[in-house]
Amino acid sequence: MKMLNKTKIVRLPFLGDLAVSFGRTVFGIVLGLIASAVLIGISGVNPFVAYGALIRGAFGNGQALSNVLVRASPLLLGGIGVSLGIKAGVWNIGMEGYMYLGAIGASLAGVLELGLPPILHILLCFLCAAAFSAVWGIIPGYLRAYKGVNEVTATIMMSYIAIYLTNWVVSCLPLVAEVGAFYPMSKKFAPSALLPILMKGSSLHPGPFIAVLLCVVFYFILNYTSFGYRTRMLGANPNAARYAGIDAKKQIMIIIMIGAILGGLSGAVEVMGLKRRVYMEFVTGVGYESVAVALLAGGNPLGVVFSALFFAALKAGGATMSIETGVISSMNSIIIAMCMLFVIGVGVVDSRRFAKIVDNSKDDDDTEGGSASSAAKEGN
Amino acid sequence: MAIEIIMDWLQATLRWAAPLLIVAVGEVYAERSGVINMGIEGIMLFGALTGIAAGFYLDSLVLAVIFTIVIGAFMGLIVAFLTVSRRTNQVVTGLMINMISLGATDALFSLMSETRQSRVATFPIIFPKGMQSIPLIGPLLFAQPVSTWVALILPVFAAYILYKTRWGLNVRAVGDNPKAAATAGLSVIRLKYQTVILSGISAALGGCVLTLGEVGYFSAGGMAAGRGFIVMAACVVGGWDPIRTAVVCLAFGAADAAQLRFQTTGSVIPYQFLQMLPYIVTIIALTIMVKRSCVPKTWGSAYDPKDV
Repeated sequence: MKMLNKTKIVRLPFLGDLAVSFGRTVFGIVLGLIASAVLIGISGVNPFVAYGALIRGAFGNGQALSNVLVRASPLLLGGIGVSLGIKAGVWNIGMEGYMYLGAIGASLAGVLELGLPPILHILLCFLCAAAFSAVWGIIPGYLRAYKGVNEVTATIMMSYIAIYLTNWVVSCLPLVAEVGAFYPMSKKFAPSALLPILMKGSSLHPGPFIAVLLCVVFYFILNYTSFGYRTRMLGANPNAARYAGIDAKKQIMIIIMIGAILGGLSGAVEVMGLKRRVYMEFVTGVGYESVAVALLAGGNPLGVVFSALFFAALKAGGATMSIETGVISSMNSIIIAMCMLFVIGVGVVDSRRFAKIVDNSKDDDDTEGGSASSAAKEGN
Repeated sequence: MAIEIIMDWLQATLRWAAPLLIVAVGEVYAERSGVINMGIEGIMLFGALTGIAAGFYLDSLVLAVIFTIVIGAFMGLIVAFLTVSRRTNQVVTGLMINMISLGATDALFSLMSETRQSRVATFPIIFPKGMQSIPLIGPLLFAQPVSTWVALILPVFAAYILYKTRWGLNVRAVGDNPKAAATAGLSVIRLKYQTVILSGISAALGGCVLTLGEVGYFSAGGMAAGRGFIVMAACVVGGWDPIRTAVVCLAFGAADAAQLRFQTTGSVIPYQFLQMLPYIVTIIALTIMVKRSCVPKTWGSAYDPKDV
């Protein structure tokens, strides 16, 4: 890091920031991929063969690309939800739970043959999903904003409760549950409630495109509206926001609720576009992956597009990799988490620290701190 | 009849609270020194798997415990390096450690498929049969495996260290005012490393107790089931005091045991709702207690030695 002090690029206000932060992100990802390659090697597979299969599985043909898009859709929606929270300074990481609630809401309206035209039926499903997940999100939102309960624990607990609620809905609730199924699942969605397939022979549905659109919309909301300004101010300096007359509590609650709605939509898209039923425990970690997506994007909704596509490519390719080379299927999430750990370890997320490095180049108190940390390293 | 059910429930409470109690001891130290180790959920999984693997292949409980401690210390070191030296966000670091642990333990477990076939020897009951047949306290206390006893004694021991020794005072000082501690000549970073590694060890041991305490097998797909997060909540509710946190852990264990009892006896409430009980209790407890607990002053924030 001492190197940075001397590089002129740091002093360029905007471009230098961007170049250094982008460079660090890429550096972190590369380190993460190398570390994962070592793990793949340990598990007895040639990492080059495995990564070759991964790349083919992600970009090999049209099918693979559509697969990437389909996998990106929940990550995109969940990623925006978490990003909004990050911008407002709250960790809204209960995406898993919101997705389940959204799926429940969608299934309540979706399994019935209502005789509606598809567009109305789909909208009704989305509406139900949004309503259910919004109610679910209000609980941790209210507790965080007005009772001071730590949102990290509260949202995670809500996720676990949501898992069991879904288990109950898909195995017991009379209207929804498929009776006598080999695995707890809901009835099939009515054809009018399913999202259309855009490409023959694939499972590409409009979900990813809607999600990208929402990313752009939220980028504008965050940067060009007073609501977005209040949100960013709250995240940047809560005290200043309060002095400026922002109702911080209300704002936090609304942000958590919007995040919940986005999570709910992500769950609804997943079941209406891809799964066609609600299965027990169908989310399998996507909720936590969307935290990684939002973080890699630094809370920027436009960045979410790229980071979600990147992780989706890793996941889609990873599936092919584990089929072709026999790498364990959970290697997917290991690679993602490894990349994230190295990215945050290299240090792109904490922009405050970046600013500090620049400051320290002016005054000479580096020596003391340096010796303290090196002493600590000797101690361990 | 009623007494039997209650005794049965209390006994199960102690059994289910034991892993929580052990994990909580380390987490209290880490959070008292200012670092929230959210990776304990994942480290518990590693501990659980290590216990089973060592128990199966080496057939020795002592070696299982030793290996668990080594794994826990290693994981704690990783968390400490990231959160203390690299000053990464503690929430994200923990979540990613959990993701890696979940994936890695599932992967390793599928490689060791032969361990599925038989149960591993669990921690023994050390008290003689005569003591177990004492009415009431016999089955409640003396029929418990040795791990439960360790779990019950550990918080008292931890409280003594935290409040009565110099090291404990240092830990509290580092968490409340790292700059003053550094000025007084303490190595803040070294102390944080120590507590976080300790929390890793205790989380791994808690996971080990989860598998070797009673059931004797590992199940893929996250068998810790949010217990690490529950322990984090218990620390908040218990005000980062080892004894009070232990009491809260016992309460969560009671909720867990109650829902299991209800499931087996059968009730009008669907069992999925009973499974929610520990998590609902956690949220309610957090809501009631959050105003009263006094937070370590630098809880969750990174310490930058250059910060003046």
